[in-house]
Amino acid sequence: MDYFEVFGLPRRLGLDAAELQRKFYELSRRTHPDFHQTAPAEEQARVLETSARLNAAYRALRDPIARVEYLVRLEEGRDTKEGAAEKLPAPPALLAEMFEIQEALEEAKAGGLEASGGEALRARREELAARVRELEANLAGPLSVAWDRATPEARARLLAQFKDALATRAYLRTVIDDLGQALGEGQDGHVANRRH
Amino acid sequence: MAYSEKVVDHYNNPRNVGSFAKDTPGIGTGLVGAPECGDVMKLQIKVNLETGLIEDAKFKTFGCGSAIASSSLATEWLKGKTVDEAAKIKNTDIVNELKLPPVKIHCSVLAEDAIKAALTDYREKWASARAAADSK
Repeated sequence: MDYFEVFGLPRRLGLDAAELQRKFYELSRRTHPDFHQTAPAEEQARVLETSARLNAAYRALRDPIARVEYLVRLEEGRDTKEGAAEKLPAPPALLAEMFEIQEALEEAKAGGLEASGGEALRARREELAARVRELEANLAGPLSVAWDRATPEARARLLAQFKDALATRAYLRTVIDDLGQALGEGQDGHVANRRH
Repeated sequence: MAYSEKVVDHYNNPRNVGSFAKDTPGIGTGLVGAPECGDVMKLQIKVNLETGLIEDAKFKTFGCGSAIASSSLATEWLKGKTVDEAAKIKNTDIVNELKLPPVKIHCSVLAEDAIKAALTDYREKWASARAAADSK
């Protein structure tokens, strides 16, 4: 059973958030482990598993971007634990730019981040953040709508677009975090501790 | 997480950091990256068009210690090899040499991808020049 099926929903990107929440609460009550404490161990384990799956399904579907990410994995048969860990390849067009930004960041760090260097990086970060917002709006808006209407043939192309946009977003967010940290901001970014 | 001694050594004393002008004859450039961790790795080879041997290699990596060590090690291994020999370097060789833990294997994969990309770029740009040298 995939996450859409958990909620009895068709595999569509357009969904009613209020209805999803209502269904989530309803199903949660039914499968909450606390209500099954006196049940046999076997059943308790089953309830726990169902409940964990329900929570995961809700997390994946309630956010429009996470929903697209999940859909891509589902469509490619990667809706498994291993599939979730699999990384999207970097869009080649983005690499030169990422390299150049990291280089500029390094130079700015070496030269101290005061005055003009810091200002330029700050502006750069704002520009990248705007691109992320644009990508997200496109993913959650027009691209999601297009997917629900697309013919099976058109879906292959849309999937490629989804993947490219998701990988670009991931890359930009990481670099934005790097810039934020260098500028002494955004210490609690989503990948702040990824470099061990 | 504890790094192996070899990773620390490459991290503290990275070999062959730098770059070549990418249009110089014999230069092959590979640029690869990993969106999730934000890493970018540039690896370049300098092939002697007379002998077909990789004379020099350079890299510049923005990323974690393992990514830096993997690419640093790769440039050491590339020197003195032919292009065909270089193509045989596998990420598992890097994993074994640096004793990378499972969570860092993707760094070695990135290094292998960078080698492959550099070799492809070299072949696309300079294969004909090399063939001309051989037929002399």
